[in-house]
Amino acid sequence: MSKKKLLLVLLLIMALVFAGLVGCGTDDDDPVDDPDENGTPIDDDDDTVDEPGEDVVITIAAGAVGQELELTEKAAQMYNERNEGVIVEVLDTPDLADDRLGLYLQFFEAQSAEVDIYQIDVIWPGDLAEHFIDLYDHGAGDVVGDHFPAIVENNEVDGALVAIPWFTDAGLLYYRTDLLEKYDLDPPETWEALENAASIIQEGERADGNSDFVGFVWQGNSYEGLTCNALEWIASNEGGEIIEPDGEITINNANAAEIIDMAAGWVGTISPNGVTGMAEEDARAIWQGGNAAFMRNWPYAYSLSEGDDSAVQGVFDVSALPAGKGSPAATLGGWQLGVSRYSNNPEIAADVALFMASEEVQKMRAIEGAFNPTIMSLYEDEEVLEAVPFFGSLYDVFINAVARPSTVSAPRYNEVSTAFFRAVHSVLTGDTNATDALEELELDLQDITGF
Amino acid sequence: MQKKRVNLSNLAKREERLAYKLLIPSLIILLLIAIYPLGQVFYSSMTNRQFASGQETEFIGFENYRRLLSVRVQKLEPLLDENTGEIIRDPETNEVLRERPIDVLPREPFRYREYRQFSLFGNRYVLGATDPNFIQAVINTINFSVVSVFLELVLGLGVALAVHNNFKGRGLMRTSMLIPWAVITVVSARMWEWMFASNRVGLFNTVLYAVGLGDGRMDFLSSGMSQMSAMIAVDVWKTTPFMALLLLAGLQTIPDELYEAAEIDGANKLRQFFSVTLPLLKPAMAVALIFRTLDALRVFDVFQVLLGQSRYSMASYNYYQLIGNRNMGMASAIGVIIFILIFVFALSYIKALGVDSDD
Repeated sequence: MSKKKLLLVLLLIMALVFAGLVGCGTDDDDPVDDPDENGTPIDDDDDTVDEPGEDVVITIAAGAVGQELELTEKAAQMYNERNEGVIVEVLDTPDLADDRLGLYLQFFEAQSAEVDIYQIDVIWPGDLAEHFIDLYDHGAGDVVGDHFPAIVENNEVDGALVAIPWFTDAGLLYYRTDLLEKYDLDPPETWEALENAASIIQEGERADGNSDFVGFVWQGNSYEGLTCNALEWIASNEGGEIIEPDGEITINNANAAEIIDMAAGWVGTISPNGVTGMAEEDARAIWQGGNAAFMRNWPYAYSLSEGDDSAVQGVFDVSALPAGKGSPAATLGGWQLGVSRYSNNPEIAADVALFMASEEVQKMRAIEGAFNPTIMSLYEDEEVLEAVPFFGSLYDVFINAVARPSTVSAPRYNEVSTAFFRAVHSVLTGDTNATDALEELELDLQDITGF
Repeated sequence: MQKKRVNLSNLAKREERLAYKLLIPSLIILLLIAIYPLGQVFYSSMTNRQFASGQETEFIGFENYRRLLSVRVQKLEPLLDENTGEIIRDPETNEVLRERPIDVLPREPFRYREYRQFSLFGNRYVLGATDPNFIQAVINTINFSVVSVFLELVLGLGVALAVHNNFKGRGLMRTSMLIPWAVITVVSARMWEWMFASNRVGLFNTVLYAVGLGDGRMDFLSSGMSQMSAMIAVDVWKTTPFMALLLLAGLQTIPDELYEAAEIDGANKLRQFFSVTLPLLKPAMAVALIFRTLDALRVFDVFQVLLGQSRYSMASYNYYQLIGNRNMGMASAIGVIIFILIFVFALSYIKALGVDSDD
């Protein structure tokens, strides 16, 4: 008897807690709605019919880094205005990708209908495919031709399009134009040239009194970012892509070992020792303070480096990363939108997702937030190019970006990547050499993937 | 006790029954919130369950435990010259060249990876483990717990003795010393991360550089020894106040008369400390030690924020297996191992310090 009562009490408590959470959620969302919330009675086009019943609420779990949340909410507002009977709400999620994945996994584990659309990282479609519907069943086939083929291919699992590309990223080399001029150097096209230029500038600047100056900063901490950096070195040195798309594990080769050993040589010379603990923002802090000649980073650092509080404002430029034996390579990053299989309104959610990834919204995001569009024609759009000039000059970098082996190794990509970056990190910190580390890594990858 | 029991009156028996009935709700709660989840975890540690996946779950017995805990020692034979049969030496260092661990460690049914090499009686051995990361995580956690709890005890006792004295502003002192403990660990870990920064943005590099130590580019968070020292420093900074608080409570229970008596007997301060304070503080100390050790063995936030994937504690390795690799079965097995380890620590503390005997 008391057990029954206890259960009742427990249920009551859970109901209270749950109601509290939901209450908070909606409260949070209110103030961000646009000013013309009460204005403009919605006239317009469209099909999603106005049944007199309740509005359909579609929730997007989206990022909130920098301007992200603001722009997503603006796009949601655009959709709301045109579609009576549908309310698009934005749920903001943690900044770090790993934390965000943790949150999503909890929704998936519970098969929750709370979130309809998820913003997912370029490396997740393979792992999470089972939780998303096939967007080809909802009209995505008409628009995928506009997007970069490599990203679309990345998002296809067994012929199904699990997510529509939203914005993309690729590793770039940032360099100081003023310093290259001062020391009479050209932007480096090979890693050797970079090594050389970085050490000349570092020596010169330190001799000139800036003892904090370093040549080259990048992402060397033991995390996903190191996988991106190391993949760029290896792919540009004809060392393969860790695991090839056909499932062949190619990492254990002399070209890969050579370039990893070379990078290990940077630690403590042209790069500070602390580079083995650096992520994107650590590198950017040094760069933006004017204390580095070169930086490897994603495009997001561009508009921040151009900011008024930046010491490098107006004296830097970006280019493709240097190459080793082969041609330059940039790791593909970026985010997609997938529609949850557990959504109550997958049809409408898919429509919202396709709208969010449409040319109109991507253009708005490119101009206002410098988010790289995934739609090819926008790289020729005059308004976009005026706002972000390097989109035009680095178009080739974006279309040739190298994907991490996430689809082929799904659902064990994270283990693959962790084994990889830990192996590379142990070489960078001098615990072992690249040849031995890669030999061991090859066996590890065989164990993990079963290839 | 036994004799009394026989003589229990009817009334007493009824009361006893009532007492049991009254205990039922708390037993049920305990069952629901402790035993049931624990059983669940134990069960899923015997499966290959994937987190957030529709994949079929199979019962695999103790395989997860075998994958985590298998270790093996293997002798590394010297390499012999094929023609002469002599031992080959490195021409430069004159060291004996030996077989490589990667070639001698078994690969079936699970692959053993090199954890560490050591020499014994002139032979060289390799210690292989199926999951060296986990073994390392266990060792990291135990090292961390032992060193940080010891330092906290010593420093905490010092702080407690200091604020136990009567002085002006004692109340303020007692309150403000608790600030580090009140700050959320994730927040204070971030703060420490900035102080440990690998250039002169960081406090430590700035200060060390100013006094002429280091080049201003010392890197605290990415190599072995300094990583552990940094973790211990953060934890000691954070939890010494808590230790001091528990010990202060213990100090306050010691009656002043004892010190007066000791004074009259001619005991100096040092003697008073060892003969009066320390023995009477033992129960409080035992409680504080148990609290802190069990807490330290579960350490997660400091490791997760400051070291991420570069060095694990048991709990952060557990998190990595569950969220990163979605290996729910394996993560559950780690959870069970942490539970057993903490249980063993708790039992041995209780035994060693005699906490459970009331008299």
